Formats: sequence, C-alpha cells, structure tokens
Amino acid sequence: MADWTCREEREAEGDVDTILRCDKRVLHSLRVIAASTKYNLILSWRFFSLSGFALRFFSPIMTISAAWVLFNLVYHGATSSAFGNAIGTSSYLSFVTVGNAFYVFVFGASFVVGRVMFWERVQGTIEATFMTPMSRLAYMTGVMVSAGINSSVDFVAVFLIGIAFGFQASSFNLPILFLSLLLTAFALFGIGLITNAVTLSFRDRTTTANTLMTVFMVFSGIVCPVELMPQWAQWISTALPLTYGIRLMRASLFGIQNLDATYNLAMLVLLGIVYVGIGAVTLRAIERNLKKKALFSVF
Amino acid sequence: MFFRAVVAEIEKEFKIFFFSARTLFWALALPLGNGLYLYFFYLPFAASSVNLEFNSATFSLDLVGFTLIGQLLYSFFTMMLLAGNTFVREREEGNLEAVLLTPANRMAVLLGGALAGALNYIWLVFGVALSWVVFLNAGVMVTDPLALVLAVVLSYLSLVALGMCFEAFFFHSRRGVMYATALQEPIMFLSGLIFPLQSMPAALLPFSYLLPLTFGLITVRLTLLGGASMLDVALPLSVLAAMVIIFSVLATWLIGHAERSAKQKATLTQF
Repeated sequence: MADWTCREEREAEGDVDTILRCDKRVLHSLRVIAASTKYNLILSWRFFSLSGFALRFFSPIMTISAAWVLFNLVYHGATSSAFGNAIGTSSYLSFVTVGNAFYVFVFGASFVVGRVMFWERVQGTIEATFMTPMSRLAYMTGVMVSAGINSSVDFVAVFLIGIAFGFQASSFNLPILFLSLLLTAFALFGIGLITNAVTLSFRDRTTTANTLMTVFMVFSGIVCPVELMPQWAQWISTALPLTYGIRLMRASLFGIQNLDATYNLAMLVLLGIVYVGIGAVTLRAIERNLKKKALFSVF
Repeated sequence: MFFRAVVAEIEKEFKIFFFSARTLFWALALPLGNGLYLYFFYLPFAASSVNLEFNSATFSLDLVGFTLIGQLLYSFFTMMLLAGNTFVREREEGNLEAVLLTPANRMAVLLGGALAGALNYIWLVFGVALSWVVFLNAGVMVTDPLALVLAVVLSYLSLVALGMCFEAFFFHSRRGVMYATALQEPIMFLSGLIFPLQSMPAALLPFSYLLPLTFGLITVRLTLLGGASMLDVALPLSVLAAMVIIFSVLATWLIGHAERSAKQKATLTQF
C-alpha cells in the first residue's frame, strides 16, 4: 500500500528533500498498484475460460437451491423464532443469497491474493519480482484491486441468481453496503498477506488458502446466523472479518434496525489493522530470511 | 501379477497421501468444514431431527447423524473422484507412457488407485465420526447390524467401482480435474446429501437414482440412525449391488477403449 504517512511527519520537521522523496515514493506506489492491477486484469481476461467462469457459480447455485428446497419443500416456509430474532427479518432465502454473494466476492478477491506467491514461484518469476524496488504491499494491492473488479461480476451474478429463487431487498443503504465491502476487503487483504507468508515459508501450494476459505464459509454466518451456532463456533466467528461484513451488508439491504452498525464497523477496522499489520511484518521478515538463505525458488 | 500391481499402486498412493500437506485439507479441513456447514443449514429451522420417507414408511433421524453420515459418504465420494485423477496425474508427471508400457494390468492400476483412496478414507471416518459423536452427540440407533454392514460395504464398493469409471473417463477426456470439480456440487445436491430425498423436485429424481451415493446415503442413514432392518432396505441394497457390477464392467471397457484410442492416435501424452 502507498506510504501516505511520511509527508505529514516530514512537513512537521520542515525537511523539504525528504518531502519530495516521500512524494516520489507515494507516486511510485500508486504506479505499482496501477501496473499490477492492469497486468492481472489482462492476464485474467486473456486466458478467460467459459467453463472455469461457469464453475465459479456452481457452489452458490447449489447453496441457494438447497436453501430453497429446505425452506419451501422440507419446512414449508417456516423458520424458527430464534432465526427472526437473531437477524431482524424472516426472509431466509434473501438471508442466504446475501451471505453467498458476499462469500463469492470475498472468495474471488482474497483467494487470488492468497496465492500470489504460489503462482510467482510456479511461473518462475518470484526472484525477479522480489528483485524489483517496488513496494510489496503496493504490488499485492494491485492484485487485490484486479481480483475485486473481477469478483464484482460474480457478486452481481449471484444476486441475479438469488432473484430467481426469491431474493428481495427491503431497503438499500449504499454507504453501509460500500463500507462493508471495502473494509472486509481490507481485512482480508491482511489475511491474504499472511497466507502468502505461509506459502513462502512452508512451500505450501494452496492448502492454507483453501483451509482459510473453508473456515470463512462455515463460521461467517452464510447459511445460518452466527447467534444460532454453538458457543465455540461463535468464538471462531468473532475473529473473522467476513462475519461483520456479512452482517453489515444484510443490514444495508434489509433495513435491519437492531444491528449495532458502529460496533461491526469498528470490529472490521480493528481486524483489518491487525491482519494487515501482521501480514506486512511477516511477509517482510520471511522475504529477508529467504533472501539470506537463497531459498526463493530452491526447494 | 494382478494383485501385486494393485498392492504396489496402493502403497504408492498411500505414501503420496501421507507425505503431502494437501492431505490436511482434503482429509480434515474440508470434510469437517462441509459437515458443519450442512449442520448449520438446519439451525434456522430449529430442527433436531430429519424425517426420511422411504418405502411408504417415515424414519425420524437425528439431525447431527443425518448430516454426519451424509458428509462422511460424500467425502468418500470426493476421494473417489480425486482418485479418478490417477492417470491424469501420471500424464502431468510425464510417467503415463512408462506406466502403460509395463505389463501391469490396467484394471489393477485403477483398482489400486481407488482402493488406496478408500483406505486413506478410513482415517477420516475415525477422526470425523469420533469428533462429531463427542462434540455434537450424534444419535445412533442400530437394530440390524448385518443390514448396516451390507449397506456400508455395498456403498463402499459401488463408489470404488464408480471411481474406476471416472478414472477411465478422465483419462480419455483430458479434462479430469475440471470434470472432477464440476461434478462435486451437482452430485452434492442430487444425492440427497443436504436434504431428504422425498423433498427433491420430481424432475430431478431420475438423475438422483443414477448415483450410487444416493442409495448409499439412504441405506446407511436408515440402518445406522433409523433402526431399519434388512427387509426395509432390501431394494436400495440390491440397486447398490447391481451398480457394483455395472460400474466395474463399464470401467473395464472404458479404460480399454481410452488406451486403444490414445495409442492409435498417438495422443497418450500429447494434447
């Protein structure tokens, strides 16, 4: 990510040369973000595969279809009162559709970030990438932005699929919706950095990223409100940014009154800072260690 | 010679399985995660049991057991799908021509791969079943142990036979990984894994009945959780037995056809 802080610090000290250097660094980071975004967008669309694109929707279609069968054919449109109390609405299919759309977006965006180092190594470009003077965080941000742009197609598509199954939004709070997406993406970016650090150290292929996505899928409240899960599952969900992001998004689309939006936004910001902080520090430390031992591409 | 090839293949797959970090995901994280996901699906309905209608009788099954059995059998099915990539993997590693030059029986190689997947699965059964019984108190009701044993064995064999068919098909199609991935979600839906089969839309039922997983789920769930007897599940058990034979014969033909065709066109390793 671009270094936005240095200018203010240096301005206070009156150090003009350093201010210029800082400006250059910020500009350079922005250029890295733009270049990385462009490169990844070109890559993903140049090798576009229709079957691969269709496969991305199998999981949400299956989940929404299963929810439709459970709701309409097994339980004949009746949910428990605890469900209504927990989320402030009784529209089960809309509840599941939002959860799925959000998960698909997150999956598309952060899964790609989590596998950057894996692909760099597979393509044989990891040493060249780490020899460049660019900011690693800016590079990763670019990957995240391109993945986010691609995932927004999936995000909209899942809502369209959901409409066929009975999705209805009772309100539309754009600021909350936008903030929930942005802040969750920020926190997941941090988790993506940590995943890359693990990939680099343990030569892991995709196990860490896949396992994390499974944890998100199960404990974030996609098909069931977190409040109805067993206590131990609720503890796990408190550490997941997706939990708060999904809550906020549902609140923005269903006009839920009993949700403490400030608390959820604060938790997202907090988790984002913690995860990005840990991710940046870990990635830097591991890069230094791998360079010392000449282990970037050697197994 | 046939059995030595089977054993060698099992040993190779077994070693690959235990010395790969991917095992942690496929054998632990994914089944456990998917199982919980299925269980959480039911929580908004305040359900503690699921009614499974079969043969004009209704069996009330414990919810945890219902989702647990579903997930265990489905994981087994997934492992068979993955085992179906044996020849695809050999091709990726550049060994396919060497493997097919050996006098090893092709069916022995396929059977070895499928049985290795099945053996590796035993670890998963113990791990997941134990954790679910301890943490979530899955309820069990068995009145006819023989019916249960037959249900498990026939489900197991029919899925192994289907796995061998997939191996032959994936080898021939050259898009094994994509097909294996694409098949997972529809089969999850159609087999009655998530909800009881009587709730399946009628138009989709014929597809459900093509899958051994569907009958495996019915028989194991009923005999392990619903106290069903041999008489209750005689029909699905017969279907499973028939599937074992049909899929085994089909696999033999498919792999022979795929190999002959690839050798004639010189496309064993080329794409």
